Amino acid sequence: MDLDKVLLEGENLLQPWTVSTSRPEENRSDVVVARENLHAAVEAIKDAGWGYLTAITGLDCPAPAVAEGEPAPEGNLELLYHFCNGLAVVTLRVSLPYGDPTLPSVCDLLPYATLYERELIELFGVRIQNTPDTSRLVLPDDWPDGIYPLRKAFTGFAAPATEEKE
Amino acid sequence: MPTQEQNQKFIVPIGPQHPALKEPGHFEFTVDGEIVTAASVRLGYVHRGIEKGTEDRTWTQNVYLLERICGICSHVHVTAYVVAVEQLAKVQAPPRAEAIRTIVAELERIHSHMLWLGVAAHEGGFDSLFMYSWRDRETVMDILETISGNRVHYSANILGGVKFDIDDQKRDFILKGLEFLEERTNHYMKIVTTDETFLGRTRNIGTMTKEQAIELGAVGPTARASGVTIDIRDSAPYSAYKTFPVNVITDETGDLLARFVVRIKELLESYRLIREILDHMPEGELAARIPRRIPAGETIHRVEAPRGELFYYVKSGGGDKPERIKVRTPSLCNWSSVINFAVGHKLADMPMILAGIDPCFSCNDRLIKIRRANQSQVWTWEDLRLHGIEYYR
Amino acid sequence: MDMAVKTPSSPMQKVMDGLRAWARINSPWVIHYNSGSCNGCDIEILATLTPRYDLERFGVKLQGSPRHADVLIATGPVTRQSRERLLRIYEQMPDPKFVVAVGSCGLSGGVFHGCYNIVGSIDEVLPVSAYIPGCPPRPEAIIQGVVALLQSLKPQ
Repeated sequence: MDLDKVLLEGENLLQPWTVSTSRPEENRSDVVVARENLHAAVEAIKDAGWGYLTAITGLDCPAPAVAEGEPAPEGNLELLYHFCNGLAVVTLRVSLPYGDPTLPSVCDLLPYATLYERELIELFGVRIQNTPDTSRLVLPDDWPDGIYPLRKAFTGFAAPATEEKE
Repeated sequence: MPTQEQNQKFIVPIGPQHPALKEPGHFEFTVDGEIVTAASVRLGYVHRGIEKGTEDRTWTQNVYLLERICGICSHVHVTAYVVAVEQLAKVQAPPRAEAIRTIVAELERIHSHMLWLGVAAHEGGFDSLFMYSWRDRETVMDILETISGNRVHYSANILGGVKFDIDDQKRDFILKGLEFLEERTNHYMKIVTTDETFLGRTRNIGTMTKEQAIELGAVGPTARASGVTIDIRDSAPYSAYKTFPVNVITDETGDLLARFVVRIKELLESYRLIREILDHMPEGELAARIPRRIPAGETIHRVEAPRGELFYYVKSGGGDKPERIKVRTPSLCNWSSVINFAVGHKLADMPMILAGIDPCFSCNDRLIKIRRANQSQVWTWEDLRLHGIEYYR
Repeated sequence: MDMAVKTPSSPMQKVMDGLRAWARINSPWVIHYNSGSCNGCDIEILATLTPRYDLERFGVKLQGSPRHADVLIATGPVTRQSRERLLRIYEQMPDPKFVVAVGSCGLSGGVFHGCYNIVGSIDEVLPVSAYIPGCPPRPEAIIQGVVALLQSLKPQ
């Protein structure tokens, strides 16, 4: 079936930067790349005209709880760049440690990625380098800095958000 | 105080409360005389935090939460979610359920496109078309109410299937309604393509070339009006679209008129599709059993909403609640395009151009606010507000 | 909400008050604001103005500017970002003014209750005169709510 061929073509494009590849579903291929190679990988997909960037999903993977005394492992943020071509979806997976969540922007290649990137900056606290616009995008003006609502650690505000009531 | 550069330009703010916009959005158009030289949009007035909300609700509760992301395209949101969950649970909805889902999705497209036709005409100052199309839209609302029991949030989907059947009586009711709608739609097509005053407001306005559409990531009818052949129902068919293929409708010109023509043709295509499905309704059950806990895994499902491609990413940790649900709605993609092709047009054309992409604020504000920091003011909002109250008391 | 208009006792004033009440009841101008709703209520409000339901036969007119409006029809839960805006619109309306909350989530937060960007229901921000429940309410329900509000304004 040519679905397989399309996926294979996508995987081959990414071959030079691939850390590992898996096929979780018959129409999907997950390709893990290192963050420094992300830009080059996206460029390869774009130059070949393979599909289009549909969305960037952010995932928060906090470190599993450990027994007392052991050093706590660091949690990760994972970013999923979904490229779709017909039924086929190739997902570039990039993992970022909590301590240093920086990533190069892909806006110079795909201008419409700016909205997705700003979403990540705000909701996950990812630091994206060279993204054209970093002004506050999603959250209200009075949102406190340093709180990223889609991280698992955020469980809502303890007190009602607005103190002064008319 | 305004800085030197800001004195050079004149910025017209529109919204978030504005008669032309039924939903809150804030726009700033920088104008030189009548001509818009820059445009920016700031949304976020309806950002509710639904993606996080899904993580505290069970799989079943989320059906109702996600349905309420948007009141216009509620059914497709749930369809995308429900099919994704079924993929994770390795449950296949029965064919009859898939057919009913597809019929409701197409009815929803009809209601959405007719709604848009009216609103867009209203923005163009053509209020009689607005009233007529909304009057006729009541026909499809009646159909939806008859088959589902509610006019807006139909709750057709449950995990594993659908909630109601379409029997012969309902079938006849749908067919009768479609006959009337088809006749009216042909009439609208004639009006939209021949009325000189209306053409004056749509022809060669807000043109977007095919290259621009691809570059800016436009989706749905907005992209198809520029000749981009993307329609998820065709390129990645799901549910009953596998058995009942759709004809993708495109237009080459890419202006506002093309967006009208494409959407009206899509109405006709939807009528054809619904009739075809009703003629070949598969027999069988309405729903398959689905476990309360969904096996761990992640999946993606994409559907074609009335406004374009809708993307769902669902991750399960194996519990009774999802671990992460990501929604990417079509209106979001279209914003970057509208801001670009608005430049160079008259200020008076802006409402039409904005309406041309069929923006849906609830859809994208579940997540997005775009903002440009050029609000230089000496007074705080509070001061201005108090001043305003005093002034008009 | 307190509907009583301060009435000095002069006969002229009485006539004027009667006239004003008559005008207000027979031609209320409404303004509509969505402070975080899903759109469902908004399209139903719009539908009530179109030929099938035709709210205009009660003299109701949808107005663009808060400065001209008597009734604010508000939909949806109040989000943190739009709270300020909702207040501003309300404060820009001339007195006396009334608020109609439409839809379950405007009444209680509804299905969005507990989402991080929701402040709460409309009556936590503004004084509400009429509540119209439903998700979304049918156009008939919206008409009934508005008419009930108008009835309550009639001088006893």
